[in-house]
Amino acid sequence: MNTLFLSLSFILAGGLVALLLSRYFTLMKLAAIVTISAGCLIGLSSSLFRLFGSSTAATASWDWMHIFILSFKLDSVSAFFLIPIFVVSPLAVLYSFHYMNNKEKSLRTAVNYFFFAILVASMVLVVLAANIITFALAWEIMSLSSYFLVVYDYQVKANRRAGYLYFIFAQGGAMFLFAAFALIYSYTASFDFVGLAAMPDSVKLIVFLLILTCCGSKAGVMPLHIWLPYAHPAAPSHVSAIMSGVMIKVGIYGIVRFYLLLAPTSVLFGQIIIALGIISGILGVVYAIGKHDIKRLLAYHSVENIGIIMMGLGVGMLGMATGNKTMAAFGFAGGLLHVFNHSLFKSLLFLGAGALIQQTGTAMIDQLGGLMKKMPLTGRSFLVGSISISGLPPFNGFISEFLIYYGAFHGLTPYGVSFFPSALVIISLALIGGLAAACFSKVVGIVFLGEPRNDSYARASEAGMLMVLPQLVLAAACLVIGIWPHYFVQASFQAIPLVADFETTQFMPLMTNIARTAALFLFLFIIIEALRRFLYRGKEITRSGTWGCGFTQPTVRMQYTGTSYADTMTDFFRPFVRIHKKYSGIDKIFPGQTTYSSHVQDIFEIGLNSLVVQPVLYVIGKLRWIQHGNIQLYIGYIIVTIIVLLLFF
Amino acid sequence: MESILSFCFAVMITPLLPTVIQKVKAYIGGRQGPPLLIRYYTMIKLFRKGSVYSTSTSFVFKLGPVVGFVTSLMLLFFFPMAGIEPIFSFHGDVLILFYLMGLGRFFTILAALDTASPFEGMGAAREAFFATLAEVTIFGILILFYRLTGSLSFNEFFSGNHVINLMGEYGALLILVVVALYIVMLTENSRVPVDDPATHLELTMIHEVMILDHSGPDLALIEMGAWFKLLFYSAFLSMLINPFHADNVLLNGLIFYAVVTFIYITIGVVESVTARYKMNVVAKFILMPFILVFFVIILTMGVIQ
Repeated sequence: MNTLFLSLSFILAGGLVALLLSRYFTLMKLAAIVTISAGCLIGLSSSLFRLFGSSTAATASWDWMHIFILSFKLDSVSAFFLIPIFVVSPLAVLYSFHYMNNKEKSLRTAVNYFFFAILVASMVLVVLAANIITFALAWEIMSLSSYFLVVYDYQVKANRRAGYLYFIFAQGGAMFLFAAFALIYSYTASFDFVGLAAMPDSVKLIVFLLILTCCGSKAGVMPLHIWLPYAHPAAPSHVSAIMSGVMIKVGIYGIVRFYLLLAPTSVLFGQIIIALGIISGILGVVYAIGKHDIKRLLAYHSVENIGIIMMGLGVGMLGMATGNKTMAAFGFAGGLLHVFNHSLFKSLLFLGAGALIQQTGTAMIDQLGGLMKKMPLTGRSFLVGSISISGLPPFNGFISEFLIYYGAFHGLTPYGVSFFPSALVIISLALIGGLAAACFSKVVGIVFLGEPRNDSYARASEAGMLMVLPQLVLAAACLVIGIWPHYFVQASFQAIPLVADFETTQFMPLMTNIARTAALFLFLFIIIEALRRFLYRGKEITRSGTWGCGFTQPTVRMQYTGTSYADTMTDFFRPFVRIHKKYSGIDKIFPGQTTYSSHVQDIFEIGLNSLVVQPVLYVIGKLRWIQHGNIQLYIGYIIVTIIVLLLFF
Repeated sequence: MESILSFCFAVMITPLLPTVIQKVKAYIGGRQGPPLLIRYYTMIKLFRKGSVYSTSTSFVFKLGPVVGFVTSLMLLFFFPMAGIEPIFSFHGDVLILFYLMGLGRFFTILAALDTASPFEGMGAAREAFFATLAEVTIFGILILFYRLTGSLSFNEFFSGNHVINLMGEYGALLILVVVALYIVMLTENSRVPVDDPATHLELTMIHEVMILDHSGPDLALIEMGAWFKLLFYSAFLSMLINPFHADNVLLNGLIFYAVVTFIYITIGVVESVTARYKMNVVAKFILMPFILVFFVIILTMGVIQ
């Protein structure tokens, strides 16, 4: 535990150092990066030691303002969720060295490092929190510090709007958290996380739903995901990587933690989580396919992956409730491993997106093309990230999806309540897998392959070395987990105490088999590639233009665009996806300028706007007369309130 | 040893079988058709050639054929041809194999987009979408098979006490599955009525247009990968419908490959008597087997105890 606090002080010191040295741009960045990374590495070693070494939970606590006690506890669940925080944060902060390269914004960059450090520290504290006060406090610090990171470019109006939206969702979610804590306190009469399991079942369900609303809005569970696609494009890319890769997982942590504390026996919990997971998973990827902005697309993919994680956890919860231990163990392990995997490949993809936006100056997929030749390393690691996020072997995304599949198949018991949810999970996972592969073949194919679609970024080249390095590390990690999954799978099985006594013999041979299949694939791949080289040896290889099917005047503007690639797929899901198309049409023999634009809308956003925001605005508009700007009357309000309170309470 | 021989035989015979389809189509059309060994000749011809690469392409274009070939070949390592135990098999191998097929498709699509050709992009978009719909059906079928055998491995589907067969237990449910799997086979292997490999217009193709720019050994690898995949699907179907089981391995293999050939013949007949559907109907056509399978899943809730 002490090493963890040491790591936290390092991280916070890194933030402070950045503020102090804000006049010396490069030195400031270096100092902040080194200190924060050092803190993260200390924390990583400590949490790894906890996960694989000792089995007792470490605790610590101290008084705060003489009223409240802040208490912390490091158990296996916390240790598991600490790992992505400590792995991704140093890589993201390393990336920022070449990414934050505007010397004129030196002070702002320093402030960015400061809040970055606070965000990392507060995420660690949320995961370690062992009572209500600590959890709420750390949660709020996390929300606020990430808000300041999102509005880094506050001069742009869209970014301020995005920040505002995020702020509303974070604080609205926190309200539900406080409601849940009030309810818990009224039953247990203690700030500590004890006695939650003894509450009546109906109260448990209400508490869980309140927590789910709060943590779900942080994690980006549909329909509370609306802030994600706005906040991510607004934030700097290394901040997006942290927020999407790690911070939304803290929301998942909240759900897991309170599920374990409540220890419910009803199947309803698992069913709710599975239903939300399926909605988020399928619609997340469908909306992602239709998006034109690469960071917005990635944000919707976070929603999709949160859906997959929720499906895994839901399968686990359903397994616990029905006493199906295999199903429970594989469901939880798959969900948790996907938490870790997603933190790797999603931050990899956001870092890649940041690099290409910096080099080309645009985030619009349909404007880009042919970047693989200009940015070979970024392109290759982005390719790895894309395969991983599509859940294809031999990369890490497949391993966690496999575990979830495996758990769900074992839930297909005759006459069980788990049959239908499990079948739905399997079919949804298959659909999501296919659509995610379609979506990422679109991103890689349109952005990195083919020809550049305009010449505004003709001089784009590989990003700075320190921007490429973290991507390479993350890409390597994705492959390593895919080929040697044993330790990672074991860690995720050990993380959940409910299934920690699950025999390793039940999943280790399976992992060995998967690893062998992956190895067989790579072996055959190398053999065939060698054979191919052999066949081409000494032969004439010519280069010429692409075969235009008889058309002799091709231009780069003729290439298939991401929009047309996605059109049939988004069209298929139409009741859930609103597509706005504008087409000027061709009406003359010699057509003039024609324009076409399409825009895919999120029905939850439309629904939230018309069902919640507009009515609330209407009611509040009617009450506007209260706020008239007359200060004497305001003082009058206060006096009246005090008198009423004194008289009646 | 048997497993390895069976694997080698399957690899050797794959180029022969697609010619059966061509022969049947020629016969129905009143033509003579190509010689039976034409695919072998084509392979040798392609392997001898060099290639022309588009200046637009990158390394991904060259990776496409190799990954596609290897993923298709992997299927044969895990599938029990004629009920002979495959070289590799474990509980859960079906999941990884269908995902490996997804990987092969992913790279084929990327290779197509790498050429910067609008035609190939169009084919890629269709392939990505239709394959997704077909994959959903496959996983529906796996749910049913898990219920029938309690297993997730090709080998265990077709061996042991609960062999999945039309003549076996719950064979009635399998009728719908066979129909569904047949349609999935047509979809995944780009056959009529989903895709027409012999059409003269690139705009209307799906798979064939994606490989327009490949030539020489690269093209040979792609073609062979496609044949492996077709063999895998028809072997899968044959294992379901094959009613005979002899104790002699050789006789068993003979019957099995006869049933496989029968399936190829039916593909030829289907291609001769139907035309390709319009693109907007294709999605509905591919969803039909999913409806069938979903219906079967609901039935299993009552039937299987």
